[in-house]
Amino acid sequence: MDIFGSFALLLAFLAAVYAFAAGLIGIYTRRQLLTKSARHAGMAVFGLVALAVASLEYFFFTDNFSMAYVAAHSNRALPGFYKFAALWSGQEGSLLWWSFLLAMFAFLALFLNRKRHPELMPWVGVILAGVQIFFLTLNNFVANPFNVIAGTDSSGALHLATLAQGSGLNPLLQYPEMVIHPPMLYLGYTGFTVPFAFALAALLGRYPGEKWIHITRRWTMVAWCFLGVGILLGAHWAYAVLGWGGYWEWDPVENAALLPWITGTAFLHSVMMQEKRGMMRVWNVWLVFCTFMLCILGTFLTRAGIVNSVHAFAESQIGGWFVGFLAIVLAVCLLAWYKNRDYLRSDNQLDSLVSRESSFLFNNLILLAACFAVLWGTLFPVLSEWVTGSKISVGPPFFDKVNVPIALFLLFLTGVGPLLAWRKTSFDALKRNFAWPLGLALIAGAVAFALGFRNFYAWVCLVLSVFVTLTIASEFYRGARVISARDHVNIVSAVGELTMRNTRRYGGYIVHFGMVLILVGIAGRAFSLDIQKQVSVGQSLTIGPYTLVCQNFDSPSNANYSSQRATIEVFRNGKSEMMLYPERRLFSASQVTETIVAIESSPLRDLYVVYSGIDPSTNKPVIHAFVNPLVKFIWFGGIVVILGTGLAMFPERSAALVIRTATESSWGDAIAAGSGATPALGSPSARSGKSYMRRKDNSDES
Amino acid sequence: MESRPSPRCVNPQPRLRFVGEFGLAIAASLAVLLFLAAAPARALTPGQAERAHALSLRLKCMCGGCNDTVGTCNHSGGAFAGPCATAQAMLKEIDERVGRGESDDLILQDFVQEYGPGVLISPPAKGFDWLVWVMPVLLPILAFILVWEVVRRWKRRGELQPAAAAGPPVSAELLDRARREAESGSDE
Repeated sequence: MDIFGSFALLLAFLAAVYAFAAGLIGIYTRRQLLTKSARHAGMAVFGLVALAVASLEYFFFTDNFSMAYVAAHSNRALPGFYKFAALWSGQEGSLLWWSFLLAMFAFLALFLNRKRHPELMPWVGVILAGVQIFFLTLNNFVANPFNVIAGTDSSGALHLATLAQGSGLNPLLQYPEMVIHPPMLYLGYTGFTVPFAFALAALLGRYPGEKWIHITRRWTMVAWCFLGVGILLGAHWAYAVLGWGGYWEWDPVENAALLPWITGTAFLHSVMMQEKRGMMRVWNVWLVFCTFMLCILGTFLTRAGIVNSVHAFAESQIGGWFVGFLAIVLAVCLLAWYKNRDYLRSDNQLDSLVSRESSFLFNNLILLAACFAVLWGTLFPVLSEWVTGSKISVGPPFFDKVNVPIALFLLFLTGVGPLLAWRKTSFDALKRNFAWPLGLALIAGAVAFALGFRNFYAWVCLVLSVFVTLTIASEFYRGARVISARDHVNIVSAVGELTMRNTRRYGGYIVHFGMVLILVGIAGRAFSLDIQKQVSVGQSLTIGPYTLVCQNFDSPSNANYSSQRATIEVFRNGKSEMMLYPERRLFSASQVTETIVAIESSPLRDLYVVYSGIDPSTNKPVIHAFVNPLVKFIWFGGIVVILGTGLAMFPERSAALVIRTATESSWGDAIAAGSGATPALGSPSARSGKSYMRRKDNSDES
Repeated sequence: MESRPSPRCVNPQPRLRFVGEFGLAIAASLAVLLFLAAAPARALTPGQAERAHALSLRLKCMCGGCNDTVGTCNHSGGAFAGPCATAQAMLKEIDERVGRGESDDLILQDFVQEYGPGVLISPPAKGFDWLVWVMPVLLPILAFILVWEVVRRWKRRGELQPAAAAGPPVSAELLDRARREAESGSDE
């Protein structure tokens, strides 16, 4: 049994090498049978890595402490679902998990397209196999999770050893999100391999047109969504567990996950330029290349611990492998692009500076500026140490200072961009679309200022958030009004109908709204309060509208940990509101303490109470309390983003239906209704009635 | 770039500053001694406490076990989830020096002398580290100019080919034809 997983992993490596080599030979010799067999080998990798994962899980669940990885990351008292999640709690297991998820995506991509795109798929298979070879090399030869423990006997001879007990899982990782956050993040990282493989394959195989973009649109959105969810779950986890009152600290590992998410966002927007107008082909290919390379860089920063990070549990010496792999990927991308650059030539032209096209260009510019700023700040300490020889810190103030204006500008574009028409927007249309939202947003700003709102950035964020929300609402309203008048349905079902007709566009609006909520939540940070105080039983501390009275200290315990707990009664306006139980747990196996924060969350503010423990200098218990306004908006915004993304992936109601309903009524009505439901009706882009009709139902997707 | 300190010779410029700082430090210490002689140590005023807190957020806890500022240091994995011994000592020093009325710059400079430049949570915009601040501003500006130029060029190209860009005008005939094709179901 011990060698079963190890053997499966080795076979997976061989299968990937075969898929790569046979695929390449098949392409060049045009031997279909070889190509087919390469594809099957590529799919078999998934089964083999799955066996390896299952085998390692088996060792965890059977407490097999002769396995070094299991002994280092589990113990008998660990609850079952943490034993399951312990798989990705360390270096070797995480890399195996990466391989598994990558193999899963590769399998799905190969299987779902097995009868389609016969010229493209062999290249896709080869590229996916290439990436798999790298990770399976790490799994097999650099960081093998199936290493066994060896001991020496009195004569000095080596023999296998079994420990009686494992070291246990790092208590910081013993939180429910441990089960879901790393898989989500890794699904995001690995998911971007698919659009990367298709883009590079289209380039290498000179596959015609924008087809690779159509094929990979949903894949990209899935990966983007997983990465975003992974990031938010990580933020939530940090918020609930680390006990410093915040959710984002611009830690290198957090930044590493944010980088591909930002370029992925830029890519999701700029592909529309290529789909609609055939523009920016080179740019899109490079955006997806960069996104993939940033995913690898992210894994590298997480796993190699090159920069100081709170995720120090991931430190190791595998950096060189990642640098080498990144260099190879970059070289392949450069070579593919250089050799086939004529294939990417596009007829870029612009009718007006005030158009959707230029708004996309600026959107991409700003997103890449944000990406650069984060990357630069993350890697600068390494660069500075290399140049000047002295260690410096680039901490949160730098990232806040640089990224807050960028985020606000993006928020502005979120409101403006989708309302600009493709090609050209007239002044009248601008006035019609923006006058009300802008006016109301400014009124809201004035009211906020009059009420004593003085933080500049938070004020700008408020005004822009109102503006963007109103533009989104007006888009739904205007479109729904047309449908409601024509089909004689109420406005609510008209909104539903409108959304389902163009899921991509209206799903996109919902995602934008989710982002508005997230940014409002982040802006709330400007008003957070905190106090740290020594309190004995019966004493109190006051923060914002709350008075916290310490009622008791006790020590509930179980087999996994012993605990110190404070009982805090919360008063508001002199009235008792609730009891909170902040806690500190000392885990028996690792002798590490973890903070269990007590959070009373309401839509407008969180009361966040930490029991810091006994201050060693005074021997008195210390309570640290925070009031964090609007944090719930961030988590709720995340849910809205997921729903919006899901909607945008949903198939649109058939074109035939759209055309039928459109033809039932007067087209003139729809045109008169303005840019809402059927803006493309006025679009002069059609070359014929047929293509004109076809463009209609997705002409204004965003 | 010439003024950039080389990796081997550790900061010729800072050494000059060091003399100045040293002088300043002596002067400040004398002033403080005089002050202390005149008035015993007092608790910080609310304004001073605010200053001390702001300073604590500009300095990194140098215990080596966390990446936090002195003001936010809490070792969640440790026995006490508050400021660690290093952070407490640093906080105490900040409080004392703020209480004596020393300037922010002087306090920060002395911390840098004691712990090295890594004690500042954000590097000062001096020497090589100036680049960390300037690049995130400079590069987007350059990119903006580039995008602007690209947009202008594309627009000129669009103007040169008005027919191709604009397509045929949408006439009543075209609408009619579109409707007919749709009704006959020949679109897809």
